[in-house]
Amino acid sequence: MESGNPLLDDYVVGLAAAAAGTDRPKVCFVPTASGDADHYIVRFYRAFPSSRCEPSHVSLFRRDRGSGIDGDIASHLLQQDLIYVGGGSVLSLLGAWKAHGLDQVLAECWRRGVVLCGLSAGSLCWFSEAVTAFHGSPERVEGLGLLPYGNCVHTNDANRHEEFRALVGAGEMGPSYGADDGAALHFVGRDLGHAVASRKDAKAFRLEGIGGEALETPLHVEYLGEQRRLAAA
Amino acid sequence: MTVGVPTIFAMGGGGFTMEPENPALDEFILSLSPRPIPRLLYLPTASGDQEANVAHFHNAFDHLHCETNQLSLFRLGATGAIPLRDYILSMDIVYVGGGSMRNLLAIWRAHGLDRILVEAWERGTVLAGLSAGAMCWFTGGISCSTGVPEVAPGLGLLPGSLSVHRDGEASRLPVFRDAVNRGELPPGWAADDGVGLVFKKDHFVRAVSSRAGAGAARVFPGGEEELDVQWLGDRTHAQAPPAPTPVDIREYREHRRRVGRG
Repeated sequence: MESGNPLLDDYVVGLAAAAAGTDRPKVCFVPTASGDADHYIVRFYRAFPSSRCEPSHVSLFRRDRGSGIDGDIASHLLQQDLIYVGGGSVLSLLGAWKAHGLDQVLAECWRRGVVLCGLSAGSLCWFSEAVTAFHGSPERVEGLGLLPYGNCVHTNDANRHEEFRALVGAGEMGPSYGADDGAALHFVGRDLGHAVASRKDAKAFRLEGIGGEALETPLHVEYLGEQRRLAAA
Repeated sequence: MTVGVPTIFAMGGGGFTMEPENPALDEFILSLSPRPIPRLLYLPTASGDQEANVAHFHNAFDHLHCETNQLSLFRLGATGAIPLRDYILSMDIVYVGGGSMRNLLAIWRAHGLDRILVEAWERGTVLAGLSAGAMCWFTGGISCSTGVPEVAPGLGLLPGSLSVHRDGEASRLPVFRDAVNRGELPPGWAADDGVGLVFKKDHFVRAVSSRAGAGAARVFPGGEEELDVQWLGDRTHAQAPPAPTPVDIREYREHRRRVGRG
């Protein structure tokens, strides 16, 4: 949902459509990490109009006035082709999910082949461990553990990049993946399939702690705009 | 930072988010701090830090004798990250908004804020709140966090239980009575919108209200007893014209109307 840049959204909707064998995949937005912010939900419906998918969203803050969907949240999520998790605080996200049992539901969605995606907190949550700097100094948090690695986002921020390297180098985090803004990691099962990007300069990398040092291996990142330009030519 | 008697002010409803034209309870909260200009923190966690609530907070308090602060657990504000414990312990009053009690407590725990708030209370920071932000201090209450009224555990600073919106959301009270009768919740209190209960340490001290005729009751197995509630007097003022609704909020409401969930 980058303003004016639909490349990553198109990519992930394409994945879900192909997996489900449909032109209009069911896409559900989960904005928990933002506290179900109204403006964010509006941005989702703008970016995912009903002309291209069947959009919906799930609210965990106003369940007394309905969750935003018919029926119970678990069965709604299990019927989706794509679940799109918005950004915000990963600590708040995981806390609220566990309180509503969504951690279990989303793991089941993943096992059944629903495409799970998200940015920022919505990326960190899928991994075993992640870096958050919400309260100042960077700290390691435990995620849902669907992907048995660490994750750090916004690594185009030089400070964040350094903090991430320090945590992995010190052995506080295991083998991990980092992604700049605009870069996305596409895992098939537990394995990294592709790294793609909506911005030409966006980088992604693997990080491993070896002998107290962080060993960084750049990933090949495919710029999705180039593909589109070639396809149009 | 205050050193005083641990104080909790639990509202069945009311205050600036529910009755912006009536400052009685909000002004009363400020009077609970011995400080002439208390440092006041608004914690809107239970509503997901809704921007509209934060705007109401500033409308209500910025012109009163206090220093206004708000803490988001979803977004880093203009101030960026802050050391949570020092920040909370520097406050004289913490005012917790309503919303989802289940989310409120889960998110506080995820950030370690539950323990910090207990420490603040022990040191004399006044803890105030309405609805979810009131029940959270008790052993338990009746929450609609999953859509229907049900028993929900709280932090247990106060040994009793609380049910809110006794008049405004009538479906909670029968569930509450039933839970108390069965022993699922300890004896406690049920409060109307506009009623606040003052607790010093773990003792109930008095009940006040912003609305003439609003009440509260002590609820125990097999019975109830209405409390004496002191009406704080007519404090209503002509409501300021509401701020214009941001365009994306209007669009979202339109969307909700279209899909039939006004």
